[in-house]
Amino acid sequence: MDVRWNKLLLLGASLATLALLVAAAVEENFAREWRVLQRRYRQRLPAEKARDFSVQLRQIFVPSLRATDRCTSCHVGMSPGEEPIEGDPVFGKHPRVAHEPAEYGCAVCHGGQGRATRKADAHGLVPHWPRPMLPRRYVYAGCGSCHTHLAVPNLDMLARGRALFERYDCLACHALDGRGGTFRPGSVAAASGPDLSGAGAAGFDPQWYEKHLAKSQAPDAGPWRVSFGPIPAEDRRTIEEFLSSRVGAPGLVESKALFHSLGCRGCHKIGGVGGDDGPDLTLEGEKDPARLDFSNVPGERTLPNWLAEHFRAPAAVVPGSQMPQLGLSEEQIDALVFYLLSLRRSDFPEAYWPKDRIRAQRFGEREFATDGATLYGTFCAACHGPRGEGMRYPGLPAFPAIGNPDFLGIASDRFVAATVEHGRPGRRMPAWGEKEGGLRPAEIRAVVAYARSFAGGAPGPVDRQPWRWVRGDVKAGAELYASTCALCHGPRGEGAEGPALANPVLLANATDAYLVETIRRGRRGTSMPGFGSPSPAHRVLSDQEIESIVAFIRTWEGKR
Amino acid sequence: MMRAGAGQPPGSGMRRFAENLRAAPRRIAESVIRTGWPTTDRARSSFVFGNLFFHLHSVRVHRWTLRWATTWGLGVAAAGGFFLTLVTGILLMFYYKPYPGVAYDSIKDIHFVVPTGQFIRNIHRWSAQLMVVAVFLHMARVFYTAAYRPPREFNWVVGMFLLVTTLGLSFTGYLLPWDQLAYWAITIGANIAQSPREVTDALGITDVFDLGGLQKLLLLGSEEIGEEALIRFYLLHVMILPLVLVALLGVHFWRVRKDGGLARPADADARLGRLAPRTYPVFTETPAKTYQLAAIVRGRTPAVGRGPEHTLPALPHLFYAEAGVFLLATLICLALSMVWDAPLKELANPALPENPAKAPWYFLGLQELVSFSAFMGGIGIPTVVVLGLLLIPYLDRETEGTGEWFGGPGGPKLVLLSAVVGLAAVLGVEAFAIHFGWIREWWPETPQLLITFVNPGTVLTAIYALYSVALVRRYDSTRAGALGLFTCFLCGYVVLTVIGVHFRGPNWEFYWSPAHWPVH
Repeated sequence: MDVRWNKLLLLGASLATLALLVAAAVEENFAREWRVLQRRYRQRLPAEKARDFSVQLRQIFVPSLRATDRCTSCHVGMSPGEEPIEGDPVFGKHPRVAHEPAEYGCAVCHGGQGRATRKADAHGLVPHWPRPMLPRRYVYAGCGSCHTHLAVPNLDMLARGRALFERYDCLACHALDGRGGTFRPGSVAAASGPDLSGAGAAGFDPQWYEKHLAKSQAPDAGPWRVSFGPIPAEDRRTIEEFLSSRVGAPGLVESKALFHSLGCRGCHKIGGVGGDDGPDLTLEGEKDPARLDFSNVPGERTLPNWLAEHFRAPAAVVPGSQMPQLGLSEEQIDALVFYLLSLRRSDFPEAYWPKDRIRAQRFGEREFATDGATLYGTFCAACHGPRGEGMRYPGLPAFPAIGNPDFLGIASDRFVAATVEHGRPGRRMPAWGEKEGGLRPAEIRAVVAYARSFAGGAPGPVDRQPWRWVRGDVKAGAELYASTCALCHGPRGEGAEGPALANPVLLANATDAYLVETIRRGRRGTSMPGFGSPSPAHRVLSDQEIESIVAFIRTWEGKR
Repeated sequence: MMRAGAGQPPGSGMRRFAENLRAAPRRIAESVIRTGWPTTDRARSSFVFGNLFFHLHSVRVHRWTLRWATTWGLGVAAAGGFFLTLVTGILLMFYYKPYPGVAYDSIKDIHFVVPTGQFIRNIHRWSAQLMVVAVFLHMARVFYTAAYRPPREFNWVVGMFLLVTTLGLSFTGYLLPWDQLAYWAITIGANIAQSPREVTDALGITDVFDLGGLQKLLLLGSEEIGEEALIRFYLLHVMILPLVLVALLGVHFWRVRKDGGLARPADADARLGRLAPRTYPVFTETPAKTYQLAAIVRGRTPAVGRGPEHTLPALPHLFYAEAGVFLLATLICLALSMVWDAPLKELANPALPENPAKAPWYFLGLQELVSFSAFMGGIGIPTVVVLGLLLIPYLDRETEGTGEWFGGPGGPKLVLLSAVVGLAAVLGVEAFAIHFGWIREWWPETPQLLITFVNPGTVLTAIYALYSVALVRRYDSTRAGALGLFTCFLCGYVVLTVIGVHFRGPNWEFYWSPAHWPVH
């Protein structure tokens, strides 16, 4: 009540308030992380440059890409017009990349929070920022933000091309993906060729081989004479294909090619192409780590770590997941994580769309090679095995070995193509026709042709007989079926251990010859014996009896 | 045309100009402080009386008013919180852009590039919270000291409107950052506005009379939360509600003075005893004016019919107290702002619901009730409570205990008992509902109308009402019933809010701790 106490209160509260305001002002004007860093940067500049350098907020502003990136407030060396300090982790130079950072901004590729001016916020390592920065080793996954349809060749071709590139010692003169490019010690002259890391994007002289050869054979060839020799045409083609894949995103092309060799799209859709059994992966790289369940994931709570652990044990990380354990090596897992992180797909104005994205989205070109091997690797390999040997994952029914020579020997191209196109309703095999899975007729033909290579490449049988020629006794067939086939295929052909025979698509596509031959010859490597040959386990069926069984099986056609 | 200063010696114009120039500072000061520097009691009085802002105070205040225990400075703290939100809010308006998406970016810019922007936003946030808390506590203070009694009934009513306006201001500010927190909290709010549909649906008249849909449409300007809703909330937040609040606040302050200062016990003078010797002396000079003014101003000016011995000049006694409380409130807000940042979550994403989506904390008690019945929790019970509060001064016409804490029949003991009853009832009902579920879980076919009227919220309200009626009969006093009911509701509000804030997780399930929430 005494006014003096109130005066004291006023004085104390005022002084404390003032102190806090001063503290806030000091923090704002002197202690901000980026100010401290810029002062440190200025100290390291030569005196005359330091005079001109002012400590101020810097940003790269690209309205069309919605980029307001203040990263350059700390990473001053990457700010346009400023001098980088070689080798410094903060003030260093931006490595040479396909796109000029000053024109594209930072977060568009790296992720993170461009508007932020504090390290933790900017790097996106704070709660409530769903897009943390990509770790350095996966940094090229950022290309996926725009290059959603980066075209990749076949994985084996890639490996062959790289091997040839190294075997012909191209790395002696040319740099590639950060390797090579200097003449080895003891060489005559420091003649180094252009860096080829971006050859696929920038393009290269189609006459390169002739020109190289001419130089090496010229009288004054010098080091050229020893360093270049003739290359056979086939190897040249492979090297050129390999070079076309060098678009300045090392690792990304390889990891994407790997993804397209493991059959992942058999179950997963990306950009509308692929199967339906697994979740759509189109935006997998944009998953918010805060919304992922890390309770069964050891290590740090990051998307790469979660993805890697998920590949090691899918069902342990996502309870109830149908995804089988694929038995991948750690390198493969790392590459797949890399590729999945690149599935980002930002919607930028079309002026920024890369060529392959336009070709894919406008003209329907594939982002992966469309030879039979790649297509098989992309869509089929996960279930049918890399060499058509079939797969048996714990908890899932066995997947048929379509590379089985007995199968390929009696299945006509037409039958296999029809199976691919229409799938097998009721089984896991989806329809891959253009309207369903999105494979075009030519692509299906390529896959079928590739599958033939599993049995030595022998051409498939040609149906000489009409599709339906069997004239068997249905009643006798029914009895024979009940005694001989029902145990495995089910009393009404619904399938048990063996496949369902009452499947309408199977019955529609399989010719009588195919069914008869399958019963007669059996299928080696499976439980299906050949009933045409003698065996202690079953009695031999005559042609007449086999045809009766087929006639009986045919009665299921159109019934369901 | 005549020359200025004609007839005076030449050159005197220049001299007078110099004199005027010298005198200018003094004259400016005199013209601003019309009474001269307040050194005497009379000058102090005219200083206060002659100033637009100060004269909302009476010139002299009763010593009872100046006791800390009378008010604990809560009203001033609430007004101070408003002043701080006003100043920081205006600063924020320079940078904030009310358009979806852009709004979020502008808040990010306020955080990262506007000088001390985040600090200012923090202060805005914390002073808003302080304002809400202080307004609640101020209301409780006025109630428990029975200060709403005549002649102050209407000021209590104005205070209730101020409470609602304060909550409205806070709620409309919630959407502006356009983050996930904002989006889903306002979704809850909009659904509460729509909750009369629960009743109209049950009656089957939604097609002809869709009050809920209309309320939601008025609030959002659209079916969904989008740019229409944002501009609406923005306009309400920065213009309409602040103007309403300022106007009401003016009336509120003015009525304090016109109603004769703060309520005090009839025997306040006797209880206060003599002044401490050090206190600024009372009436050191003979008043130049007698209290003839009292004949013009009808009613209860502080000094009418009473000796002036127990009043002190507002300047300095009251002003130092008020300034001290205001600065203390400022200090608290600043200190909190230094330590805890105002939240900003991910950009609003209508496709990605927050689970649980929670309203602002002071509405979480209501949200808890809403989880039982949207209509009763969001509209029915709050309306009954606000109406009850509005009516209190017109129902309680007793005089016992005015101006005293927990004054009235029963006194502090009754309040304590009511707190126990209130806590037991709300905990009991909640524990029952959480453990056993409610009618719908037992008989899934139960019609909605039954659940609307019989749910944990209404049961709790009924228990409180019955308890209050029992008190009215037992003490033969409305005030006793009011004390019990108010205390019960306060307990209920606090417990439900704590449950809503801390113990409700995804799908509004009960969890002992957020650590037990399942990961989505």
